[in-house]
Amino acid sequence: MSNSPSDPVRGAGYAAGRTAAAAARLVADVARASTDSWAGAAGAAAQAGALADRLETLAEVDADAFAAALVALGDPSPELQSQMERAAAVPLEIAEAAADVASAAALVAERCDGLVRADAAGAAALAAGAASAAAHLVRANLTVTPDDPRLARALRAVDDARYSASRALDSET
Amino acid sequence: MVPDEHLVERCLAQDDDAWNELVARYSRYVLAICTQGYRLQGADAEDAFQDVFLRVYDRLGSLRDPAALRPWIGQLTRRVCLDRLAAGKREEPTDLEPEGIDATIEELDDAFAVREALNELPDECQEVLDRFFCRDESYRMIGEELGIPSGTIASRISRCLARLRERFADG
Repeated sequence: MSNSPSDPVRGAGYAAGRTAAAAARLVADVARASTDSWAGAAGAAAQAGALADRLETLAEVDADAFAAALVALGDPSPELQSQMERAAAVPLEIAEAAADVASAAALVAERCDGLVRADAAGAAALAAGAASAAAHLVRANLTVTPDDPRLARALRAVDDARYSASRALDSET
Repeated sequence: MVPDEHLVERCLAQDDDAWNELVARYSRYVLAICTQGYRLQGADAEDAFQDVFLRVYDRLGSLRDPAALRPWIGQLTRRVCLDRLAAGKREEPTDLEPEGIDATIEELDDAFAVREALNELPDECQEVLDRFFCRDESYRMIGEELGIPSGTIASRISRCLARLRERFADG
């Protein structure tokens, strides 16, 4: 698969958002497959569905923000600062939502039907990876300094996501 | 929450508090039909809103089944919106029904029913569900705001949703 020269460049933030959204859909599917054995399954599925919707929207918003930042960098204007700020804000939201997907996945992995547990654990790992990618974009943004609270939030989301992923993966043993 | 039939009974007995409660309970519903269903805006939406509650005040005694207060107010609101759209257009009001209006009203009815069931839950459940589903807050933010470990938020939301489902089934 390749992009034509006229295709928009969407960037890693978009990919991270879509990956975390796909993980969330998987969590919802696993939860729905466990409704016979777990009373909270429907609630977990509803949360995961809401997170997937949120992340799909964020992915699109990130693609727009990324494209606008690229244009602003190529032709600096008074809007450059605000475009770059926006390009950091959206990946931060993606990182935090992806951490929530990992947390929901951990819950589902611990409670779901054993036949689909590996899928929930896999979803947690995917979400943790997406959180790491999104946090990296926050760190790489030109407006973000090492002591920036946005970076601290992004790194905290990564820690949360990794902890949740390890919980989910441990649930298989 | 007082059931609709009791609220109607108190309104008909000229209880001012009951009237205030009726308006508070249905104001968002009426406004949503005016603005989302019929795309009325600004002064038009406000006038329609006032008109609906004036008609409710005048005609509540003609409501045959007090338990059917919501669909009755919904119908009144639709009538008021159509009259407003028809005013000055020389068209039959029925020709002005927006496309998909029935589906929109159905969605609003569902949303209203969920909100009513939500109001029956304990405060901590209302808070956590509102923050996650309506305000899009992250588990960490919810945990920090409510003083709860963020790792437990997902299971707490699941439990609250299960209770909401029970309330919904009971209602």
